Amino acid sequence: MPATIDVVEMFKQAALEVDNRKLPQLSRETVIATLGMDSVAIMELVSYFEEKLSVRIPDEELGRIRTVGDLRDTIARLLPPGTQVAA
Amino acid sequence: MIGVVQALDAARGITDRGFTFVGAAGPGQDVTLSFDDLRRESLRRASHLRAMGLAKGDRLALVIPEGEDFIPTFLGALWLGVVPVPLYPPLSLGKLDAFMDALVGILNVAQPKALVTNERIGKVLWSAVGKVPTLERVILTSELRAGIAAIDPPPHPADDDLAFLQFTSGSTSAPKGVMVTHGNLKANTKAILHDGLQWRPGDVTISWLPLYHDMGLIGMVLCPVVVHMPAVYIPTLSFIKNATVWMETMHKHGGTLTFAPNFAYALVTKRARPEQIARWNLSRMRLFGCGAEPIHPDTIRAFLAAFAKAGLRPTTFMPSYGMAEATLAMSFTRLGDPFKTDRIDPERYHGDKKAAPSANGVAMEIVCCGRAFPDHELSIQDDDGRLLPDRCVGEICFRGPSVTAGYWKNPEATRAAGLGKPGGWLRTGDLGYMASGELYVSGRLKDILIVNGRNYYPQRIEWAVEELPGVRRGSTVVFSRPGKASEEVVVALETRERDPEKLRAAIVAKVSEDLQLAVADVALVPPGSIPKTSSGKLQRRKTREMYLRGTLGREGARVPGAMGNRLLAAKHLAYSLVGRARHEARGLMRKLTGA
Repeated sequence: MPATIDVVEMFKQAALEVDNRKLPQLSRETVIATLGMDSVAIMELVSYFEEKLSVRIPDEELGRIRTVGDLRDTIARLLPPGTQVAA
Repeated sequence: MIGVVQALDAARGITDRGFTFVGAAGPGQDVTLSFDDLRRESLRRASHLRAMGLAKGDRLALVIPEGEDFIPTFLGALWLGVVPVPLYPPLSLGKLDAFMDALVGILNVAQPKALVTNERIGKVLWSAVGKVPTLERVILTSELRAGIAAIDPPPHPADDDLAFLQFTSGSTSAPKGVMVTHGNLKANTKAILHDGLQWRPGDVTISWLPLYHDMGLIGMVLCPVVVHMPAVYIPTLSFIKNATVWMETMHKHGGTLTFAPNFAYALVTKRARPEQIARWNLSRMRLFGCGAEPIHPDTIRAFLAAFAKAGLRPTTFMPSYGMAEATLAMSFTRLGDPFKTDRIDPERYHGDKKAAPSANGVAMEIVCCGRAFPDHELSIQDDDGRLLPDRCVGEICFRGPSVTAGYWKNPEATRAAGLGKPGGWLRTGDLGYMASGELYVSGRLKDILIVNGRNYYPQRIEWAVEELPGVRRGSTVVFSRPGKASEEVVVALETRERDPEKLRAAIVAKVSEDLQLAVADVALVPPGSIPKTSSGKLQRRKTREMYLRGTLGREGARVPGAMGNRLLAAKHLAYSLVGRARHEARGLMRKLTGA
């Protein structure tokens, strides 16, 4: 049985690997643009999720992703049916 | 010298080489258009545009991320005499509002008759369309792909004809569109191809640069069109997400030439894994060009060292200098020369504006950007336009047939930059010096920050910070400091805030959210610390100099007036009274305790 995917925890790990940034306070409600990362680092972070989860977030959906929760919901829609994604 | 349209017309029958678009037909599936295909497709799109009512001189906005659609649409418009206005597409996370504001600002200056975009972006662009009165229609790329007979080739444009408008990115308050003529393109592509790249048959260009940017469009698309050189295009977003696709494409397609800003070299050095580097063969690469933002010597040395194992030769790295107002390029180092820097004395640089070689260990390291090319000239000038001798620091100026005609409908800015006068000097707003005919770019006069190859106006960032509660208007100065990958943003702010950490976090979040820029440092200083002009305007350059020297907030910056002097005297009197009281108290204590 596949483990549950926790986007918030993955986000913390990605920020650490991509931008050497610790984000202990991160939650679903966090607005990604307020984290102080530049646009290149943010796209690298998107790529982290795409690689780890084998999904491809369509370019035109990027403009609508504001919060960590938005990212979680977008990813949940792209994963194969039945995949467990933490709320 | 040959024009872009002439060269495209001459591509008829060239079916054995052309442009390849990586992943254009789905993951792992490329699309290739031969030069013959490209010529025909450009004429077909010109036919569509003409049928839609566009004629010579009309502006046509392009918001198209896909190269396979952008390039033939751009070339078709050029051939028809329609003036394309390339604009950046909304491709970042959660930034639609800011994107729309910037787009509307540019469109209202350019006043295009129509805008071309793809279906997906078209869905979100409509809110902007309503705010641009001149815009008669939005054309989708699918409409341009539909069958229509190609028109007979229209006449080739004249050298004085306007080719396209290049908007300099960053500012929404007064976006400036550089007017690039066909003659400018002829002169600059010739210089790039023959004096810079030393182009030869068999060359293959590899580019991930955005097509709405001068280096990506002129350097990596129009130059290949002029000499029918094969080119391979990687979507910009694919590169940003995974920088190693750049090297992978060079390896796979036998690339020989590429260009990118400094930050890209830092990014790919950070991302490439040793096993990838060991697998790649980059020995065919003749040239890694670098421009569009300050070049950091340590970044480049790290890049050259890391990729040596893939067969990359250090002499293939070529720093260059340019800007949209000069069409694109102004200088190149000589291909084959080793990477060269100059180590100068920082005290003399800041003190008497001389670039004297450093005698002791302390030095500023400046990258050599080479020489001007034939028919063009570089000089260093003081504020009054006097030419300065070698190793004197002043404004970099440039003249020759690549200097553009000025800014679209903006005579004031055109005059200020020295544009619009035949044979006149373009004043670049950059600081530098010459040594033995070679240019060294060392700083900037104009108030611009360049982060990841993109220009930002500090005013925009200052306004964002001043929207925060508790921040006074006119108390904030934004500037950049050198960083290894790219320039870094610094916010200096006068405040008496009791919770500085909270204010710092709020500033970082606000700038990040409004402009998607990372703030590297917030300098909170007491009121009176930031230098002002006599009229009370904050002095960005001086503040930056004080910050870099570590004196910001440590010494009083403002010269006190008559009232100030009186206050100063009162302050010292108070200090001395307190000091005397302390002294007497200590004496009394000693007496009492017998110490």
